[in-house]
Amino acid sequence: MLSTLELKVTPFHERTSRLSVAQNWRRWAGYRVVGSYDLSLDHEYWAIRDRAALIDVSPLMKYVIEGPDAARLLHRLTPRDIDRMTVGQVAYTGWCDEEGKLIDDGTISRLGPQHFRLTAAEPSLRWLSMNAVGMDVRITELTDQVAALSLQGPKSRAVLNRVCKDKLDGLKYFRWMNTSVGNVPISVSRTGYTGDLGFELWMEADQALPVWDALMTAGDDYGITPCGILAMDMARVEAGLFMLDVDYTAAPHAWIEGQKSSPLEMGLDWAVNLDKKGYFVGRRALEREKREGSAWRMVGIEVEWEGLERLFAEVGLPPQIPSMAVRESRPIMCDGKQVGYASTSTWSPVLKKYIALAHVQRPYYEVGTSVLMEVTVEHHRKYAPAKVVKLPFYEPAWKKK
Amino acid sequence: MASDVIIIGAGLNGLVAANYLAKAGKRVLVLERRAVAGGQAVTEAFGSGFRLDVLHAGGQLRPDIVSDLGLDVPASRSEPLISVLPGGGQLRLTADSDDRTLASIGSVSKRDAERWPGFVAFMSEASGFLDAAYRTPMPRLPNVSFSEGLPLAKLAMNLRQLGPRDMFRVIRALPMSALELTEEWFESDAVRAAIGAVAVHGATLGPMSAGTGYTLMHNWLNRGGLGHRRVEGGVGRIADALVAALKARGGEVRLSADVKRIILDDQTVRGVRLANGEEIAASTVMSAADPRHTLLTLVGAPELPPEFVWAAQSIKMRGSVAKVHLLTDGNHGLPAGTLIVAPSVRYVERAYDAAKYGQVSQQPYLEITADGAVVSLHYQFAPYALRERDWGQERAVLERSAVDTAAAAFPQLRSSIREIKSLTPLDLERTYGLTEGDLNHGQLILDQMFFMRPMPGWSTHKTPIDGLFLCGSGVHGGGGISGAAGRNAAKVVLKA
Amino acid sequence: MSVNTYDAIVIGAGHNGLIAGAYLARAGKKVVILERREIVGGAAVTEEIFPGYRFSEFSYVVSLLRPEIIRDLELPRHGLKILPLPSSVTPLDNGDYLAAWADHEPTRREIYRHSPRDAEAMDEYSRVMARAAKAIKPVLSLVPPDPSSMSVRDMLGLLRLGKYAKSLSEKELYRIAKLVTQSSADLLNEWFEFDALKGTKSASGIIGTFLGPHSPGTAYVLLHHYMGEIDGAFRAWGFAKNGTGGVTAAIAASARALGAEIRTNAAVKQVIVKGGRAAGVALENGDELRAKVVLSAADPKRTFLGFVESQYLPDEFVTQIKSFRVRGSSGKVNIALSALPQFTCLPGESPLHKGAISISPSIDYIERAYDEAKYGQFSKNPYIDIIIPSMIDRDMAPPGHHVMSCFVQYAPYDIEGGWDDQKRDAFGETVIRTLERYAPNIRRIIVGKQVITPKDIERIAGITGGNIFHGELLLHQLFFLRPAPQWADFRTPLPGYYFGASGAHPGGGVMGAAGKLAAHEVLRDWR
Repeated sequence: MLSTLELKVTPFHERTSRLSVAQNWRRWAGYRVVGSYDLSLDHEYWAIRDRAALIDVSPLMKYVIEGPDAARLLHRLTPRDIDRMTVGQVAYTGWCDEEGKLIDDGTISRLGPQHFRLTAAEPSLRWLSMNAVGMDVRITELTDQVAALSLQGPKSRAVLNRVCKDKLDGLKYFRWMNTSVGNVPISVSRTGYTGDLGFELWMEADQALPVWDALMTAGDDYGITPCGILAMDMARVEAGLFMLDVDYTAAPHAWIEGQKSSPLEMGLDWAVNLDKKGYFVGRRALEREKREGSAWRMVGIEVEWEGLERLFAEVGLPPQIPSMAVRESRPIMCDGKQVGYASTSTWSPVLKKYIALAHVQRPYYEVGTSVLMEVTVEHHRKYAPAKVVKLPFYEPAWKKK
Repeated sequence: MASDVIIIGAGLNGLVAANYLAKAGKRVLVLERRAVAGGQAVTEAFGSGFRLDVLHAGGQLRPDIVSDLGLDVPASRSEPLISVLPGGGQLRLTADSDDRTLASIGSVSKRDAERWPGFVAFMSEASGFLDAAYRTPMPRLPNVSFSEGLPLAKLAMNLRQLGPRDMFRVIRALPMSALELTEEWFESDAVRAAIGAVAVHGATLGPMSAGTGYTLMHNWLNRGGLGHRRVEGGVGRIADALVAALKARGGEVRLSADVKRIILDDQTVRGVRLANGEEIAASTVMSAADPRHTLLTLVGAPELPPEFVWAAQSIKMRGSVAKVHLLTDGNHGLPAGTLIVAPSVRYVERAYDAAKYGQVSQQPYLEITADGAVVSLHYQFAPYALRERDWGQERAVLERSAVDTAAAAFPQLRSSIREIKSLTPLDLERTYGLTEGDLNHGQLILDQMFFMRPMPGWSTHKTPIDGLFLCGSGVHGGGGISGAAGRNAAKVVLKA
Repeated sequence: MSVNTYDAIVIGAGHNGLIAGAYLARAGKKVVILERREIVGGAAVTEEIFPGYRFSEFSYVVSLLRPEIIRDLELPRHGLKILPLPSSVTPLDNGDYLAAWADHEPTRREIYRHSPRDAEAMDEYSRVMARAAKAIKPVLSLVPPDPSSMSVRDMLGLLRLGKYAKSLSEKELYRIAKLVTQSSADLLNEWFEFDALKGTKSASGIIGTFLGPHSPGTAYVLLHHYMGEIDGAFRAWGFAKNGTGGVTAAIAASARALGAEIRTNAAVKQVIVKGGRAAGVALENGDELRAKVVLSAADPKRTFLGFVESQYLPDEFVTQIKSFRVRGSSGKVNIALSALPQFTCLPGESPLHKGAISISPSIDYIERAYDEAKYGQFSKNPYIDIIIPSMIDRDMAPPGHHVMSCFVQYAPYDIEGGWDDQKRDAFGETVIRTLERYAPNIRRIIVGKQVITPKDIERIAGITGGNIFHGELLLHQLFFLRPAPQWADFRTPLPGYYFGASGAHPGGGVMGAAGKLAAHEVLRDWR
């Protein structure tokens, strides 16, 4: 009765809820997921960077697109050149409205010549259907039916090699393959949201728990650690990965034009194939933006530690930085005026730096530009010296190897 | 020799557009799917060879188009509108308030007869405004340039020059229902019903629907009053005149040339492909077919932006007109004129109610016209989308209630019938290419007029495809066989 | 100065009259507000119809009351509390239901249960409607300029309006144009597929109108109801503590605190005209009151055809007011209950009992209900909007007992043969029978019921025609055409006589904008 009033739980809830010491729950797309298992994030964060972190990412929206026009639909929907995608390949992409503004982003896996899986942050059935008018294609939502685990960290491959029927050594960056864990068929993609070596595992929801258990058992020797989404949030900022409605406003959610972002502004030039053939949504607007240049860009901001220290020292304090990623807007200044804002900022434990993802206006978005970022020092607004840097902030050598 | 412009569809709008372009020196090729030009303005033969004006019992091109193009159009005369009342009475209405009209109205209401000339004056003012509006290009909002804004400002000044009283009367009347409008003038239900019937003619609306004030003005404008404007020799002769004029200007009309596809290269027009596989190149294509068909079928949804596709899908077509043509032995007993069976406002409204629920009206509003031995019944309401039955089953029902209703008013008719040829909305789609059988290529409703015709943001005749323009009834100026839409579109193409 | 001399007389102590009076008093004017009945409130009254059971007799929910009025008149200090209506539910014929909550996620899951496609469409639809409401809202608090006028003020007004239109994005502008002209059925069919969802949404487009969901223009009414101020909610409606009478009681208290005098049992007979200006009013009891200005918050018909002799008004204006449409189309059935009604789809006491319960299974259902009304009958299967105020405010009924408010459409004012006791009973019975289909125990738990027809609304609340908006929200009766062309600026052809009620721009609902704007215009003209 009135079950609709409760948040949904993921197929791993039985396990995750028992492991959660902090009872720190977060809402994600209508699901209840673990924010952090521990009272502090350190242990989970370092699992991502040094060991193997097991993250429940089941709330990701998942769609299967099949049929003679499946490739044509994705070709039209996204700025990626789907014709160049081979079976077994995964592509990251954003997709736009006709004005070239981002609606959402996710990954496309080519499962077969006429068979794709698309992940998204937001419900997308309607937008997919609107784009499929006049096409011979079937779109199925599998969000609740397919469970997803993200296994991230330098030891993730070793753990998987122990539990999967097939060795994963040959699985290249942004490729996927089918295998099984015990007798549970899974598909594994070499993808993730941390910028480290990592994999995402996809399986039927009702067979999810054995996979979790197998991973936890096999991973014990490697220090496998269940990890909540807050630690992942820190890692993704280090990796220069942005988040919908945090670092950009999805075009349909924007109240005003100025809140919208194009993929070029978000630094996704590499994922916008303007040389591909045929119409795709937003093509003309993106061509125009490419020609005329973007008004602003998403860049990395690195706060200069000495400068920050000085600001705090003035009031007799050591630098105080929140211990997790902060999703709150901070003005970026230059030449005495505001030239942008940071949308997420975080302390990077691995880099020992205070970093942020920021929207910065032309021409200040050039790498190397010296700017100031607003910080609060003992309840007073101050400006810490910072620099525009190239993204990602952190990219270990083993990420793509 | 290659053409500058290909026009899809040799209906009146297509032919008018072609003539304007040819007059400006363009090489124009008009492609017509059928073996006869004219579109809805056709005079054709059926069965044993009886000829008639199939879809419109009359009509006229805008007089300014006739003079612009120097057309040799046949003479036409306006018929009185005769409403057949229960018990054998008749109400005879004309726009010139002649003595017979006033006497006829006076027989149902003295007061209404007194008010009639005032009403006619108001209606000519209102339809005059609409005529001016149909001539005024509707730019894309909100960033209207000075050159686009000027004609609009002129239109607004026209309206203000009517003076506050009449200006507000016209503005108020547009969104009103025909019933509300006529209630302000007349007390007789029969008079209100006759006017209400003209208001809903061709529309899927009842006289109590908001916005039938507008459709009344529209139909009044196109008819030049209440009754049909019968064309000497048939409405097909208007098309003949346009074809002749086009040929004289060096343009070409190809019949039986069925365009299946508009060929594109990255959102730019390259030409068209015919059903027989032939491809004809052109950098400008104008389509006089309805917007839904043009965009979703000839261009194809996959080539168009998703929101635009949604808007095109959302164009309200939903035709609910059927035609039942009768060949009689001549002894049908019908008087001359445009006869209607619309005895009361409620009668017409109830006929419309059926259409709302996907049913054919059992007691339809009929418009009956006779030309010699041929009798045409214009039947409302017979919706394209039937809920529980299909048009294969329903044709017999349609023919029966058409004849029953007409014969109730004119008993001699039944025994005089020799042949029946009915056209359901499905036939109108299949034979005449009218999506959902909508004669107006998109309902004439408030949210599909002026700036919103055919779709919000696309009232400029342009489309997201470079080089593709819309010039049929479904765009501004359109609805009816006046040629206004074709002229408006041609002007845009010439400026582009 | 005699006691009976005022700066301003306000006719009618409904919410608009009280608000106008309060604003005038706040500006330091000596004001009297005259009320025909023995209680203030107009159509926003709470009455104890049966001992212990209190009802918002007519208007029963609050969504549109302008927040600036709440702030300006310090209404919370005078007792105003608007309690949220957290949900709405539509019982379905198959025993299931469709619910909507103030919270987005459960609403999404609930709709998803019926139609995944609609769940997503609803997200986007809500955003689009919220944006349209945001875009059109400034127009509601604006004095409509006269497009036929050449006066500087009107020209500036038109210019401002044009500028405002230009400030909107293309999408917003067309969306509004479409919403203003479309039928709610067309609008909803473009977005949704699930019948009960469309039916329930379309109901907002017909409330208070004499139109069906297929009638063009109903999408605007739907938007009008979307402009609730309690942000973020599916149906941003609230219930006033102590019923809707609680709102007018707070406004009256505020007006008194600001120095206004309120006289009840003071029915106005006529506006006194001196030297071509309104100079006061004559009461039915023979008293005469003098004032510099008179402001009427009665309906347009009584304001112009009842209180003023036609010789003081231009013929064209009189004609226009005569043709102003005020056809009432809705009734109310207020029921005192000994227990909570058991809805088949909501066994026991559900959280959904605290919200609105809507009998609106499909657009066709409502359209057919309208079909009957347009031919002069009340609907045999009416649309009913139910709330159980005692579930929200426990002070409305004795412990364990409940009061239930049923807003019913359609019930035409001009019913064939006219309303009489027999027809009223039949109408009440139809409503009970309709309720029984969804809540079978209803008949057994009825302690008392009050059936209100449009005729009763006219008789009791004094609204000519019984239309809850004092005049239908038809396209040709909105903005600069409300109540008549050239007189949408709260002034009237009779100098010194003003008009500020639901029949004026921006129209009905317990919004108060008309009263406030009218008072503002009075003060603007003050010399």
